[in-house]
Amino acid sequence: MQQVINGLFLGSIYALFALGYTLVFGVLDILNLAHQAVFMLCAFTALVLVGNLHVHMLLAFPLAVLAGGLLGMVVDRVAFRPLRGRSDSNISGLISSIALATILEAIGLQVFGPDVERFPFGTVPDRYLKLGDAVISELQLVIIAIALAMMAALTFLLKRTRLGRRIRAVAENPLAARILGVNVDGVIAASFFLSSALGGAAGLLFGLAFNNVSTDMGRAVELKGLAVIVLGGMGSMPGAALAGFALGLLEVFTVAKLGSSYRDAVAFGVLFLVLVLRPRGLLGPAALREA
Amino acid sequence: MRFSLRCLASAVAAALAVTAAAAETVKIGAAFSLTGNAAVYGGQQKAGVQLAVDEINKSGKLPGLTLEAVIEDDATSKEQGIAVFQRFINRDKVSAIIGPTLSTTATAADPVAQAAKTPVVAVSNTAPKGITDIGDYIWRVSLTEAQVVPSALKAARAKLGFKNAAILYGNDDVFTKGGFDVMKSSLEQAGVPILEIQTFATKDRDFNAQLTSLKAKNPDFLMVSALAEQAAGIVTQARQLGWNVPIMGGNGFNSPAFIKNAGPAAEGVLVGTAWNKASSDPVNQAFIAAMKARGNDPDQFAAQAYTGVLVIADAIKQSGGKGSRDDVKNGFSKVKDLPTPLGKFSFLPSRDGDHSAAVQVVKGGKFEILQ
Amino acid sequence: MSLEALNDLWLTYQSTVAFIGLNGLLALSVYTTLSCGQLSLAQAAFMALGGYTSAILTFHTGLPFAVVLAVATLVPSLVAVPLGLPVLRLKGVFLAIATIGFGEVVRIFFVNWDFTNGALGLTAVPQRTTIWMIYLALAASLFVLWRIRGSRTGYALEAIREDEAAARTMGIHAAAYKLSMLVLGAAFAGLAGALEVHYTFMVAPSTYSFSRVVDMLVYAVVGGSFLFYGPLVGAGFLTLLPEVLRELGPRIGLAPGPLRLFVNGAVLLVVILFLPRGLVSLPDRIRAWRGERRPPRAP
Repeated sequence: MQQVINGLFLGSIYALFALGYTLVFGVLDILNLAHQAVFMLCAFTALVLVGNLHVHMLLAFPLAVLAGGLLGMVVDRVAFRPLRGRSDSNISGLISSIALATILEAIGLQVFGPDVERFPFGTVPDRYLKLGDAVISELQLVIIAIALAMMAALTFLLKRTRLGRRIRAVAENPLAARILGVNVDGVIAASFFLSSALGGAAGLLFGLAFNNVSTDMGRAVELKGLAVIVLGGMGSMPGAALAGFALGLLEVFTVAKLGSSYRDAVAFGVLFLVLVLRPRGLLGPAALREA
Repeated sequence: MRFSLRCLASAVAAALAVTAAAAETVKIGAAFSLTGNAAVYGGQQKAGVQLAVDEINKSGKLPGLTLEAVIEDDATSKEQGIAVFQRFINRDKVSAIIGPTLSTTATAADPVAQAAKTPVVAVSNTAPKGITDIGDYIWRVSLTEAQVVPSALKAARAKLGFKNAAILYGNDDVFTKGGFDVMKSSLEQAGVPILEIQTFATKDRDFNAQLTSLKAKNPDFLMVSALAEQAAGIVTQARQLGWNVPIMGGNGFNSPAFIKNAGPAAEGVLVGTAWNKASSDPVNQAFIAAMKARGNDPDQFAAQAYTGVLVIADAIKQSGGKGSRDDVKNGFSKVKDLPTPLGKFSFLPSRDGDHSAAVQVVKGGKFEILQ
Repeated sequence: MSLEALNDLWLTYQSTVAFIGLNGLLALSVYTTLSCGQLSLAQAAFMALGGYTSAILTFHTGLPFAVVLAVATLVPSLVAVPLGLPVLRLKGVFLAIATIGFGEVVRIFFVNWDFTNGALGLTAVPQRTTIWMIYLALAASLFVLWRIRGSRTGYALEAIREDEAAARTMGIHAAAYKLSMLVLGAAFAGLAGALEVHYTFMVAPSTYSFSRVVDMLVYAVVGGSFLFYGPLVGAGFLTLLPEVLRELGPRIGLAPGPLRLFVNGAVLLVVILFLPRGLVSLPDRIRAWRGERRPPRAP
């Protein structure tokens, strides 16, 4: 039972991170590998707010998430927008996002140093709930709740608001959307804002959850995030959420049954198998072969 | 006339010789992890070496020689470690090398020094195997886990009286793996059944799954072989899971960074140590005072690095005071009962260090010797 | 400069020279698949396979180094075939992801394989590689690529790169070409892996991480992936850069580690945005910018 809680907890963070990934992929058909850098920088932003400026977490959270969203817009402007017209924009976009991720990581390293930082004690109350002989901390509950809330908010936004409709239009067919009067660049920027806000939130929660913020935290999650979106189906949001939880549970039970050596192997094994056997993942669209 | 010319000539020659001798610099290369996963240890090591070098130069212990420390970052990486060693050996022409910080880096870099016949003093490598066995130019000041853990375990058992145990260790680092081997054999030798063993990787941050599995078996005692960063995470998460089992860590825990990062969760954690900070030995107290005067509250790693320089200086002195690489190497075997902050120090025939160890417990946010 | 000083200079920097050669070989291995428009990021895994194979052979058999190298080149090439068949059917980004996944799986396999000491790897590998060997291997690889370039195969690859569907309608058997490029890249990577292991005294899984592949990709892209010697330029430039920065960084108050990372990223970004054909296209671009008319060089 405890393991289930562990799995859901880990999974909620994976899901949140993957949502951002898959949102951009759905809209732009591009993998934004700078996502993990935003993940990391947001966690640090929150750390600075709470640790150095003594802002309460309730205020720091939205501020850091906002910062993440803005950073995402910068990523779009710098790394993706200039490449919009090019024919090989898929691969070159990938490469330029890698470049930007490296730059952001370097900035983080220079400003914050290589050491692991922690949120000051008492940032989050230290209370526990007992469910049978399993223990769940208040922090874990809050994190799962926030992740679910953000996912719900995103779904609502996409399905019920005008912006959401525009985003879906651009995802479907950018040219048609433009002809119909949609400000495609603006919509893309908005998608990046949302995506990075989610990624940033995931980073913040991750940093809080394991009380461990360091400049290379993005790397570890980046590859897992790929596994999640592939499993869920690239471009499918419910897929990403579902796959995120699934991977979290899968990892935790692998460690419990087989030992932690195989923890990562499971994620990538799944990734590989899915791509080879059922490239569209659990809930993704059908066309994925070479066009 | 001729007589005084000859006098003058020899006087000038003597003066030149003296100035030449006085200007003789002996370089010591120090390779420490100033960045990367082991950076928590590297800063203290650097401070320890710098203090020792300054003190020895001021004290005139080595007449005619000036020690110079060349300090570089091994970035907690094997590749960097090798590169730094090569620079020390070929470009800076050091007489000896101190470091690198981690055993993992040492297994890659030390063979380079051995091949180039340059002595290496390990001051924080505590993996029992794979360090001094590289060759006769590799010596070690830091006590190995095999020297510290069994006695620490015995003291813990005497105090806590546990009946069974479990182990959690990092399986991708030479030191944490070596530490695990020792923990396992010490428990077996003490007749304590091991209920479960779990592993993690150095990059892991989430230990909940492993800890939950270990907790389910309900052992009386948990031994953890990890580096300081992961140690903090492990201990914190264990307590968060509501698990109050007594925990004993290996040498990786021996850093104030562990206490800082684990906060209240570190209370009560036991760690074997090579350095008894509370020892009233005057050499030790002087060392602590001097470090504090420089703004550094020293930890075991600083003490060991400091001792490393003392040992090199003593070796040079014992072998005639010229400071070449072979002088240092041959001098090592002559070092006997040298007063250091770690106690009276000598080398074992295996080139490992020999002095007594102690057990610490974390109380009130500080390491204290277990009574 | 005295002979001794030169010798010391050489000893100090020989590892840089060696790594320029090795990185060049690795960059070429990424280039082979890029040349037909596929982004394969499994090179680190192939390198690992070559490196480990060679180390195992050195430790457990008395085979001469040339044989060891040959086998180490062969093993990843063979593995590339069953990998390539299912995976090369995938579209751009998915291929990249699948190869990343493969790379991680191989790395984790080695982390857990006790025979090779798991995560600790094997150390005290005797140093059998010399700088000459590295550059010989590099030259041989360049020769192979040069021959391919001018041949029918070369044109076919380019056609596939430009527009695979069109190429297929012209009767080019795209799948076979893509697979053979993957295999060739695997061979280069395996060879580089074996040479590196016997140069750095050790083999360990941590060397073959995703960031290593990213580095290789950066060499190829920065150098220029349209000309076969482009990656070499990239590798040389980006291997020398950290050495130069190491001296420079502290003088301007920046730590060398982050500075190197930053420059890597910045160079890559600038190149991909403004100089997509890489550094080797710089002379042409300058000429174009200056307004000179000159027949474009055959890529």
